[in-house]
Amino acid sequence: MDTMQQVPMILIALPIIFAAITVLFRSKSGLQKALNIGVFAILFVMSLSLLFHVWNNGILVYEVGEWGKYGILLVADLLGAGMVVLSSLISLMAMIYATDYMDRKALDATFFPLFNLMAAGLNGIFLTGDIFNMFVFFEVLVLSSCGLIVLTGRGDHTKMADKLEAIFKYLILNMVSIILMLVAIASLYATVGTLNMADIAVKIAYLAETGTLPWHIHVIAMMLIVVFGYKAALFPLHFWLADVHPSAPAPIHAMLSGMVIKVGVYGILRVHYLIFQESMFMLQPVLILLSLVTIAVGATSAVGQYDLKRLLAYSSVSQIGYVLLGVGMGTAYALTAAMVYLVNHAIAKSMLFLATGETLYHAGTKDIRKMGGFVQSAPFLSVIFLIGAMSIAGLPPTGGFFAKLVLFDAGLGAEYYIPIGIALVFAIFTLFYLFRTWLSIFWGEVKEHDKEDTYKSRNPTIAIKISLALLACVVIFLGVYPEPLIVLSSTIAEQLLDPQPYIAAVLERSVR
Amino acid sequence: MTTLITKTVSKACVPIIILFSVSLLFAGHDLPGGGFIGGVMFASAISLLYVAFGLKYIDSIYSYQWDKWFGAGLLLASLTGFGAMLFGYNFLRSLYMLVSLPLLGDVKLLSTTLFDIGVYLVVIGSLLYVFKGTGEDE
Repeated sequence: MDTMQQVPMILIALPIIFAAITVLFRSKSGLQKALNIGVFAILFVMSLSLLFHVWNNGILVYEVGEWGKYGILLVADLLGAGMVVLSSLISLMAMIYATDYMDRKALDATFFPLFNLMAAGLNGIFLTGDIFNMFVFFEVLVLSSCGLIVLTGRGDHTKMADKLEAIFKYLILNMVSIILMLVAIASLYATVGTLNMADIAVKIAYLAETGTLPWHIHVIAMMLIVVFGYKAALFPLHFWLADVHPSAPAPIHAMLSGMVIKVGVYGILRVHYLIFQESMFMLQPVLILLSLVTIAVGATSAVGQYDLKRLLAYSSVSQIGYVLLGVGMGTAYALTAAMVYLVNHAIAKSMLFLATGETLYHAGTKDIRKMGGFVQSAPFLSVIFLIGAMSIAGLPPTGGFFAKLVLFDAGLGAEYYIPIGIALVFAIFTLFYLFRTWLSIFWGEVKEHDKEDTYKSRNPTIAIKISLALLACVVIFLGVYPEPLIVLSSTIAEQLLDPQPYIAAVLERSVR
Repeated sequence: MTTLITKTVSKACVPIIILFSVSLLFAGHDLPGGGFIGGVMFASAISLLYVAFGLKYIDSIYSYQWDKWFGAGLLLASLTGFGAMLFGYNFLRSLYMLVSLPLLGDVKLLSTTLFDIGVYLVVIGSLLYVFKGTGEDE
């Protein structure tokens, strides 16, 4: 038995087992810290080895419970394995950071079990080959992230009442979207009689070929766009994000804005490009239009914010618009660009959020107008924040430069001149609001002189510095040496546009 | 709710309900029953005790930590999956054998039962943890 074969399942099951173990030993947070950092390091190494395995040997299919062709499958293709590597990297860094950042009370209560379940949910969504299983892992992800948002950390200046309000919104709206998803999946199942995504794709392609494609397939595709657009904070559904994400403590904020909103993009890439290729001709213009509005609304809302976390949350809304713009344009090069943008934004944004949490702790407030001159008292944070801001704004030598370059190049190549023009204008907005923020926080005069002594005592600990520095290294690496990511992304884009290898790997395997 | 009638009736009922929940648990996967339903029934029996006698009285006899039940159940259920991996099969691959036992006759022994017991403990632990938490809340 090939051990590599088991890795997709272990990536999901290991965090679940450790969720159970951490519930049993809740009060020993010193032991838990070491244990959980170890687990997430193992998960990261395994996800990397899975990606290399898939790169060398093709798509890996795993039958849970060996139920033959009726069972639930895990499918690790390049897209899924790549997303798992990304999520494991960010969750490892967030975990290292959180061990020093979160309050003792939060660590003793529910932080570790819920964080493990969140990682299991993310890995499950990226690796499953069954659309109903995807729904189940969405639920795991939503419920665990709700529990994580209430916890408190040291740089967290949100009142508990605000947190509960945010969670109420998040939970109710997620339930609405998840019911929509359930209805969509049920109608899909009623139409084609299977839940396996590759099988659905084959059957819908057959229906389209014979000209008997029922019209409600297009409706299902639109419903799923609403569900995934809600997850990704696409324009008319973006309003919850700026309330919910800033009320989470920094490591969770990094996970939510770094990974969880990318789940929506992954859903569109996986489900729509695999199953609903017949409906894409009418969905692509809608996606492009909405993503442009998302870019514009996010960027203009961010300009007017003085609350640092809200500003960055609106910036996330605007940046996810760029990713969805690439997804909407839909050529191979544009999908490559969308993947490159997604990876760069996930890493740079989560680094920026981790640095923000520490900056807020340093400042003792979340109002940008009361901060200033921190370059003296926190030089490390100012460098990290600058690297993050440069990557999000798209300046060399960071990864964000290549993300924007490839995206705009792809748009110009596909002759989308007006959308790219609009996106460029708002890229300048991004540059403006991020650098204005950086300048007012770290440069200039110290605004509150009576706090200067407290500034000196509030400095990042070693664990926090390590996680931030490692993420900064990754951001710079992606900017200096972007070829591996671009090659990987273009292979993923080819696989998305030609799903035959995926379908063949899933359906044409030896059945017991 | 703490009248004499409720107390007497629940004293008589609770053991029966618990036994019935266990029989539902072992009814298996091809008959009505299973870990989830059994767990809900067990939780309702214990919550009947909480309602009839009050949280403080039950806690003074023995203070259950229901979250530990939840953890143990989740651990048991997921380790069942890993058990199949140890023997070189895929995760959650199940196995059954027929055994003839004295008095009971032919019994089907399923490895899935371990998973079901895990589900049973998770359901009991999570429901009663929520009940107790909301009950203790002033």
